[in-house]
Amino acid sequence: MSGKPIKDMIISTMQNGPETLKELEMAKKTGKDISLERGEVQKKVAQYHPSILHLTVSEIEPVSPIASRIRLVSDNGYLPPFEAGQYINVFCEIGGVRTSRPYSLSSSAKQRAYYEITVAAVENGFVSGHLLQHLKPGDHLEANGPAGVFRYQPVFHSKKSVFLGGGSGITPFVSMIRTALESGEDRDITLLYGSRTEELAMYHRELSAFAERHPNFHYTLVLSDEEKEGMEHGFIDAERIRAHVPDILDCTYYMCGPAVMMEFCRKALEELQIPGRSIRREVFGTRRDIWNEPGWPEGMTGDEMFQIKVGDQNIEAKSGESVLTALERSGLRVNVCCRSGECSLCRVQLVSGKVFTAQGALLRHADELFGYIHSCKAYPVSDLELRF
Amino acid sequence: MANYDVIVIGAGNGGLSSAATLAVNHKKTAVFEKHNIPGGCGTSFRRGRFEFEVALHQLNGMNTKDNPGPTRQLFRKWGIEEAIEWIPIETLYKINLPGGRGVALPADKKKACHLLCREFPEEAESIRRYFHIVWKFNEEIADFLAKSAASPADPSELKKFITKTGFPKIYKVLAKYGVRSTQDVLDEFFKSRELQLCLSAYWCFMGMPPERFPFSILARCMYLYTVDKPYYVRGGSQVMSQALMDTIRRHGSDVFLNCGVKRILMKNGRAVGVEDENGKHYYAHKIISNVSPTITYAGLLKDEEVPDACRQYFKSYTTGISALTCFIGLDCPPEEIGFTDSFNLIYDSLDANKDFKNAYFTDTKTDPIVATCYTIDDPCVSPPGTSIITAGTLKYGGAWEKLSPEEYHRTKYAAADEIVSRLETRFPGLRGHIEEMEVATPLTHMRYLGHPGGAIYGYEQDLKSSVFFFPQDEFIPGLTFSGGWVNTCGFGPNYAYGDKIAQSILKEGR
Repeated sequence: MSGKPIKDMIISTMQNGPETLKELEMAKKTGKDISLERGEVQKKVAQYHPSILHLTVSEIEPVSPIASRIRLVSDNGYLPPFEAGQYINVFCEIGGVRTSRPYSLSSSAKQRAYYEITVAAVENGFVSGHLLQHLKPGDHLEANGPAGVFRYQPVFHSKKSVFLGGGSGITPFVSMIRTALESGEDRDITLLYGSRTEELAMYHRELSAFAERHPNFHYTLVLSDEEKEGMEHGFIDAERIRAHVPDILDCTYYMCGPAVMMEFCRKALEELQIPGRSIRREVFGTRRDIWNEPGWPEGMTGDEMFQIKVGDQNIEAKSGESVLTALERSGLRVNVCCRSGECSLCRVQLVSGKVFTAQGALLRHADELFGYIHSCKAYPVSDLELRF
Repeated sequence: MANYDVIVIGAGNGGLSSAATLAVNHKKTAVFEKHNIPGGCGTSFRRGRFEFEVALHQLNGMNTKDNPGPTRQLFRKWGIEEAIEWIPIETLYKINLPGGRGVALPADKKKACHLLCREFPEEAESIRRYFHIVWKFNEEIADFLAKSAASPADPSELKKFITKTGFPKIYKVLAKYGVRSTQDVLDEFFKSRELQLCLSAYWCFMGMPPERFPFSILARCMYLYTVDKPYYVRGGSQVMSQALMDTIRRHGSDVFLNCGVKRILMKNGRAVGVEDENGKHYYAHKIISNVSPTITYAGLLKDEEVPDACRQYFKSYTTGISALTCFIGLDCPPEEIGFTDSFNLIYDSLDANKDFKNAYFTDTKTDPIVATCYTIDDPCVSPPGTSIITAGTLKYGGAWEKLSPEEYHRTKYAAADEIVSRLETRFPGLRGHIEEMEVATPLTHMRYLGHPGGAIYGYEQDLKSSVFFFPQDEFIPGLTFSGGWVNTCGFGPNYAYGDKIAQSILKEGR
């Protein structure tokens, strides 16, 4: 005898008990069959966050002597919505090594016929060089995302935006500008774009045309390595920001560019006494010269070799390269997305050994307590043992 | 192929606690988790200088080291009590009534009763009677459970006694209040709507408006949180989840992260193993699913493997509510904008049942707001001079699922903006201090939890589908469930239930 009859007997003697039992019987007749739920959650989630994007290159066009924009269409005809400023993480296999790189989308978020990313040649760039040299229309790519939090957040960002872009860090701004202007958003945008030369400035013509057409978009190209009429010469410093932004304390500032430029702009904004809450920063790749970052162990050059033990595998690792890179080189599949320390997908347990943690690794309290690291921002400074 | 004693699908609170008890008792267990991090709802995420707690407001069942409550006893058993910093909270909650009146209830029976009598002197008598009944209700439950446990034979002595004497004669208070709604019971005691709101708060922990929220759960919450005191955890719930996972591994069992289960393997009508997302097979004597029964039956099993009786049984359970939550990091301390208590329930009208109806829509104009300031519990939760507030409201997934992808972001920010505007009227200056903010919608919860409707509390927990009627019947030999879908949701109850499921498996194995 199960416990059921006595349960029903007890309940039927309780106040509101018989009514509740009757309600239950009714519900059994009218309720929804759970088998109707088959596949529903995946379908709904995939509208926004497909586990993987299968993309085909539809067009490649240079936007500067060293950079090209690449248009990507979806193999199944569907691309999820994104917020202007977000990135996708593009996977590629080079010489047998599967790795990936995050690229900001530069297309407007108001259309989803294609995604556009912009790839610039980086000195010794493992992936960018490969993409620029070998990628051609019709090629297939896999990516995850869109993801990232570098975007206009209307609840607390000012309607007055100041974009401070450097080099290829212009790409998320291109998307943000296209999106805001094309849809006639009630916003005022000032872009200060730092480039070495005019020729290297990406999207210069399009941005200039936008500025002519839209009174709420103000565009200034700042050249560091050449002087040209009608363009400004120098860097994006406090004085220049003040000159172009009338009400500096009423704006939200967005920075994206190489580490040196970001640091320079950060100081400029500090000098202008812009509160931290008004400054948004895109994480922009990993610096190649990690040994120059503050806190790097003294005496180490970045060329030291160590062993990383993962399960019963032993792999070689160089101190100047992230643990993630070493794992990928050895053929291990690591869950990954931002490669910049913030998404935590590449989190692994550090069982033993020591790593140098680069700036920007957003670890949780639990990670520090129980010894977990973000492998994209961790550099081996001893032999390591890791656990997935 | 690999063999285990027990396989657990999902590293949420239910899965982790079951696995921890099994592992500690030398059962070789494997936990599969599709995410890169354990915890399910019990997790956190980082933005800028802040780490945001996702689910935990107040842990129950802790009490002190010398007088441990059931949850603390479990952590002790799992060997992680000392690894975690527990932070007692002195206030149960603060009710923010329309017009600005606020009532913060102390986690102490006498003080709470006294305070309410002072605030609502015209109903002092009823207040005292109410507290007496709530305590009596819990004592009768304790007595009933103790007697049930002490007479295991079937038909037991207790059963015979109840049949002969009649349940209402033995357990008067239980019989009178055990299957009634919160609103029904509060109407019996109190005239003041304000006072009713001051006592019904825990409805938001289960996602049912007072008119559908079982009074028995309210009475349990009120009693347990008062007796054992609410607690918070330094570092948030992710610390507990990680500690549990490490316990499982330390005892020689496995936790596979980034490794979802594709399907449950059946043999002769019995669940015998799982296939992971890479196609690898694992076998065990028992499978515990920490995934919702809906997704387990309609996702991990084929239709023909699910008995008709099972599909029939689940018809009386409906997918529960989700939430819209704003995770807010402020660049000022809480007192600067007038935040004084950690757990706040904010009403802009006195009709919570009516306001709740807005849960079926995407806008947030009238919904009661739940706002928790973690900085009040733990000043170290964020850097000095900053604070963390999560504010949100319960929302059903339906309206969000129907949005076109083009409308989604705009709708999400509009709903969040409305919440911030409403908070601003009570906490002036809040918006201007926001340094980081993330918004989670029912679709966000659906993405991370994989739950139908983005449900955060499992099935709807109304009178006919909770307490006496949790969906705990089993239909496939070898397959059982652990987690908030088959039991009272919440951290403490889930840990306890996960442990109970593990205990019953240990018993079977003997």
